[in-house]
Amino acid sequence: MADRSSHDPLHDPLAGIAFDRVPPAGAYGAAGEPGVGVSTAEEPFIALAVARQGHAASVVERLRRALGVELADRPHAAIEGGTTVVGTAPGRFLVLSRSEPDLAGTLRAVLGTEAAVTEQGDGYVTFDLSGPRVPDLLAKGALVDLDPLVFRVGDAATTVIAHIGVTLWRTGETSYRLLVARSLEAAFTRFLIASGAEYGLRLENQGSGGRG
Amino acid sequence: MRIPCPYCGERDAHEFSYLGDATLVRPDPAAVDAQDSALADRFHDYVYLRDNPAGAHREWWYHANGCRQWVRVTRDTRNHAIAGASLAREPGDAA
Repeated sequence: MADRSSHDPLHDPLAGIAFDRVPPAGAYGAAGEPGVGVSTAEEPFIALAVARQGHAASVVERLRRALGVELADRPHAAIEGGTTVVGTAPGRFLVLSRSEPDLAGTLRAVLGTEAAVTEQGDGYVTFDLSGPRVPDLLAKGALVDLDPLVFRVGDAATTVIAHIGVTLWRTGETSYRLLVARSLEAAFTRFLIASGAEYGLRLENQGSGGRG
Repeated sequence: MRIPCPYCGERDAHEFSYLGDATLVRPDPAAVDAQDSALADRFHDYVYLRDNPAGAHREWWYHANGCRQWVRVTRDTRNHAIAGASLAREPGDAA
């Protein structure tokens, strides 16, 4: 990992990084214990289930039984073991799994003709943010109140951060997970670094610096 | 201005795009007076003519950067106070 905290980090932590390349792994901004950790290391399997008209309640029930999650038709992330189900719209659920490679096929078998299921794993990059200053960082780009007092663990929102569409949810006391369209990984990582530099930010990604 | 999306909760108006009057009803082209010029007049009204009320206005907003649902909003055009919102997929009054 490159240590970028040594040369004038607060002035421009992104100096010398091409704007269309994903910034490499490393420490950015203020020195010392980082206030924000960012990782795109985990690449879960992702699929989207959209209930056909009139079948939302039944789809909720089928997902609940098949995946063992506490689920309702609202913007909330239900997490159970390696499986997460996030409500993104009425009757629409993003399902993430750590262990089920054929997630879309599994969901099709569970939901039958009651929902349209599409594979989304290639479409999104998963950003795991953790650390005491994450809410401060997100507040610089979000139009939604993400203060821990009102945005509780399990709450989810599909919104815009720094003009980039994201689906995010709070996974723990100081941890949040964000899904961003893969083609916007470089731009979103730059937002995180530019906004998180004052707190100190540690980035973990595949780090070649060559991905566009 | 913040719009109370029935699914997402209160959101900034920048997440939405505006369509306009939510009370318009498309005339039935198969109506009995289909040959009549009255039907053409009704279509003309439907396509082109809009009221510009000072006060309560029922209008469509599309939550493009959120749940991607059409929302029926009742807004006071004088002060932007919003009296209610409902999803377009659910029939009924906004307020």
